[in-house]
Amino acid sequence: MRLVHYLQHWLRGTGTRLQVADFVPDPHPLRQWADTFPWAALVAAVEHSFDTRFPTRSPRGRAPVPIRVLLALELLKHEVGTSDEDICHRLRTDFAVMYACGLREYQAPRSQVHFVLPETLCEFRGRIDEALMDELIAIQAAAAMEEGLVSPAHLVIDTFPCAQGSQRVTDATTLYKAQKKPSN
Amino acid sequence: MRCFGRQCRGQGHVFVKLVRHTEQQLLELGQPITALGQQAQQLLGQATALSDSTRERLADAFNAAMSSHTHIRKQSTQLTQGKKLSHCKIVNAYDPTMAPILKGKSNCPAQFGRKPGLVSEPATGFIFANRVPEGNPCDASYVLPLLDKVQRAIERVRATPRLQVHSVAGDLGINDAALRQALHQRAILTVGIPKTIEPMQPHPSPEEVRDILNEAGLHRKRTPHQVHLACACGYSRPVVESHIASLLSRGAGQVRYKGPLGAMRQQGMTVMAHNGATLVRIRQQHMSKRAQKFRRLLGLRRRKIHEINNPKN
Repeated sequence: MRLVHYLQHWLRGTGTRLQVADFVPDPHPLRQWADTFPWAALVAAVEHSFDTRFPTRSPRGRAPVPIRVLLALELLKHEVGTSDEDICHRLRTDFAVMYACGLREYQAPRSQVHFVLPETLCEFRGRIDEALMDELIAIQAAAAMEEGLVSPAHLVIDTFPCAQGSQRVTDATTLYKAQKKPSN
Repeated sequence: MRCFGRQCRGQGHVFVKLVRHTEQQLLELGQPITALGQQAQQLLGQATALSDSTRERLADAFNAAMSSHTHIRKQSTQLTQGKKLSHCKIVNAYDPTMAPILKGKSNCPAQFGRKPGLVSEPATGFIFANRVPEGNPCDASYVLPLLDKVQRAIERVRATPRLQVHSVAGDLGINDAALRQALHQRAILTVGIPKTIEPMQPHPSPEEVRDILNEAGLHRKRTPHQVHLACACGYSRPVVESHIASLLSRGAGQVRYKGPLGAMRQQGMTVMAHNGATLVRIRQQHMSKRAQKFRRLLGLRRRKIHEINNPKN
């Protein structure tokens, strides 16, 4: 039931349609950032990779959340430095995030909490393999070179260390949750 | 008791006898795991209530756990016997692809994690490719795979004449004779890779340029102008730290997704987000004077296609 509830705006939606671009001014940082990506080529590469590795067994079923939205959410997550939950929530309320995700018209019932569930975003991320990731970066670089913005003539190579984050719940987190619970 | 590190940085003390004693106890405790594992594997094969896919998934996870245990046991046995550990030692029981990062940490305790590599344009910071290898290989091993990725990106461009990589700059970590030779064979100048800790010459004389071209065997393939630019890139190589800082500000300093694939996904998405922000800066001409000059020399001038030349009218 929850799945039907959160996906229903992809099916029909209610109320008047708002033009998302009207609410996001041209100099808005997220709008400018989103306009740099060659979305059509990126989405085509993802779709081709997914169709090859995860073929659809049956034509039945509900239409999925567009690849364009999921890919933009994943990139936005790293641009604004937020969690899956937060970025999915912002897609529901933030017009700039909607613009970056390629949604040009806004129409959804007020009772709906999410456009995209964080679990869906996590599942999408899990399907990205190394070859696809390299291809996406190459597509972005090729688009920038074709536009004459960058040149690969002289390059710099370096490495940097990064720590593997711990997934374990720390004492501080447990204490924080315990303190927060009675107040709710 | 042994001490590690330089005194001024705070020495780390390790109680060797205590470590060996504890390790011995753990080894004795884990002695029956191999026998129990074989029994569990037989029982899993006989479990008819499970579906084939579930049995296969459980068997895969079980085999992975047993192989990890074997590896850890081997390392612990060496520790109790006082033998020197191999280079790729286990630092995380759940992820054997992680390794100690010793780069730039000769005076401090080693960090544990991953060591992504990147190849970027020095003027603007646009990252053409990145690589997150398993373990902790030497820096020189990053160069050719990264350049292959750049080449694949170049092949996607439909512009003529075809773009080429003229030079590569780096730090002393990628100073390797075999690598230099491989780069020269690809007609790539290596003047930006230092051979000593001495500062590089940013403006070489005509004689020096001729020597550089002769040494690389690229006399007819690369021009003196390209050598000058390569020297300038090598001289200003430390700007790559600002590109890395930009990635770190986007959370690349800590991998939050699980395993090597998770690290690859996180670093890749961070690089793409960084590139988007870099392209915004380039379009808005928010660059340093040095970067603007470098772009002019490369012929990457801003085309004012949306601006009227004579706004007074």
